[in-house]
This record gives sequence, structure tokens and C-alpha cells, in this order.
Amino acid sequence: MPDRLTYVIVVGAGKVGFYLSRHLLEAGYEVALIEKDPARASLVAAQLGSCSVLVGDGDETAFLATSGIERADVVAAVTGDDEDNLVACQLAKRQFRVPRTVARVNNPRNVQLFHQLGVDVAVSATELILGVIETGLAGHGDFLHMPISGSESSVVRVTVPVGPAVGRQAGEIAELSQERILLLVRDGRELPLDTPLQAGDQIVMFTQRPAADFMLEEPVLLSPAAR
Amino acid sequence: MGSTLAKDLARDGHDVAVVDVSRGAFDRLGKDFPGKLVLGSGIDQEVLEQAGAANADCFISVTNGDNRNIMSAQVAREIFNIPRVMTRIYDPIRERVYREMGLYTYCPTVVGAAIARTFFDSGPEEADRARHSVAASGASGGA
Repeated sequence: MPDRLTYVIVVGAGKVGFYLSRHLLEAGYEVALIEKDPARASLVAAQLGSCSVLVGDGDETAFLATSGIERADVVAAVTGDDEDNLVACQLAKRQFRVPRTVARVNNPRNVQLFHQLGVDVAVSATELILGVIETGLAGHGDFLHMPISGSESSVVRVTVPVGPAVGRQAGEIAELSQERILLLVRDGRELPLDTPLQAGDQIVMFTQRPAADFMLEEPVLLSPAAR
Repeated sequence: MGSTLAKDLARDGHDVAVVDVSRGAFDRLGKDFPGKLVLGSGIDQEVLEQAGAANADCFISVTNGDNRNIMSAQVAREIFNIPRVMTRIYDPIRERVYREMGLYTYCPTVVGAAIARTFFDSGPEEADRARHSVAASGASGGA
């Protein structure tokens, strides 16, 4: 049992930051939400209640120090500006040794760049939606599903979220879920299946279950539940 | 600062491209500016490509946004492998962090405060000397 809640700092209280914080709070995380605009911050604070909403710059180091960032487990920078999200994550990582940084990326071309520049997970809504439209695949967050025609079977790609799957072996996950892991990919390279997982790793697996069941019954892998 | 620098470099015969998000900024360069003008954000890889970043020898980011400068400088270095990259960061703490990460950074706040302090301690002549030595090292240091 963890002796304390996982502490997540969310930078940016726009729509993404607001809903993200609300869901994290519901899932039992400790959350601090950082917002530049005082009016937006007080509006969001009234709606979120138990969450501490701090008014300030997510990239202002002096301010970040007051948010208790050095004990944060995750910093998620989800403003509408890629440069602000990048710098918030880099400062969190470099200056405050935050173990996990997650950035919202608005320009899909920046996903690769952010990884290269040390951001642990870069998520592009544009890319996800584009993937769903272009390939006709069913998409659920970072989850991609490729049905094998004429059967219930499919190949599924899952990106390991920050959560309980981190540190475990892909093989363990496979045993739990009774799927066959085909591939573990990190930074574009294939890794042995007994490598301890990191958030952002991609697992490609074969399942004989319908995609909906797979998604619903894969809480260990898919839900970033409290450690 | 960008327009002054661009005109200066162009006058010395360098091949200069200026990137800005606002067309109005190009007016400051004057009608006879010989360099390339690219409308767009300096953090955008396509925009930098258009500006010829793939063949650039030096990249300098001096927008009013620290984070834009920081990000575009890193794109210049990591994506386009531009050998000399310099960026302006107003926030002294952020400047220190990125300097430690290997970017050549310059903080007007720190430089300005140092000159003001020299003026306070030793008067205008010393302050002028400090200013000139900064100008000189800025010109030759060039990252």
C-alpha cells in the first residue's frame, strides 16, 4: 500500500486541464492545478473544490517551487501552447527531478521532438484523432485496435500509461490479461519482453476478445490508477 | 532586437532569414532588406525549414517569449543540427537551467542588473566599460 497519494501537478486550467484534474481527483490522486489567468483559476477552483488551484506560471521556477513540485510524482503540462508545455516539463525534470512528465502537444510534429528533448510522454490529440479518421481504426485514448477481418481477433497497440503497469514486465501483463504480447517498443526500438515497462512504452498484442471487452477488462494496463 | 541584428548581419554580407509571426515586424527591416522574410512561428519545424534552417550556420532566437525562444533554439539544435545556437531568456532562473543544458543563452535582466550595479558602485565610466565589454564579448562570443 502506498503511504501517500500520488501527487500530480497539472499545468494549464483550460478544458483539458480542468477535466483531467477532475478525473484525477475522482480517481483518488492528490492534484494541484496551475493556471496563469486569475479569473479562470478562481472559476475552476470553485468547480473543483478539493483541488488546490494555484495562480501563476507553470514555467516560472520560483513559483513552481511553492507548489511542492519537488515531491510531485507526475507533472502534466496541458496548455494550448506547445512551447509552454515543453518548458514546464523540462523544468520539472531538470530542476525538480520530477520522475514523470507528460505534455499535451498541439502540433503533431512535436511529439517526436518532445521525446527527444526529455519529455516522458507527449500526447497529441490531433494525432490521435487523425489516426482514427485516416486508418478507420477504433481508437480509445492511446489505444489502437486493428481488427483481423473474418474473426473476433485483433491486434491491439497500447501505450503504457503512468500507473501500476510501470515497472512490471510485459510478460506479467500478458499473463494477467491472457493476451499474447507480440512486441514491446520504446523510442522506436524493439525490446525484450522481460524489460520492466516505462510509461510511454508501446505494447502490441494479439487478442481473441472483442475490442470493447478488451478495453473494459484491461484496467491494469489501461487505467492510470493510483499506485 | 531581432531587426537591428538582422540588418547589421545583412549589411556585413551575411545571408540572413528573419522569421516572425507578424507581418508588421518586417516593416522594421526597411524596404531594402536583402534577406529572406518568413511569416510563421519559430517553434514550427516547417517554418524553420522554409527559412533554410537545414543549411544554416547560426540560429538566434530573440522573440519576446522566453519559452518560444527556448523551444525554437532546441528545434534548431536538435532537429536541424545548426552548429551555433543562441537564445535570449529574460527569466534569470530559466536562463541558468538552459545554460546548464548546453544552450548559449543571454539574459538581458542579468546583464542589465550587472551594468546598473557597476554604475551604482563605480559610476558612469566603469558602467560604460562594463557595457562595452558585454557588447564586445557578445559580438565575438557568438556561441
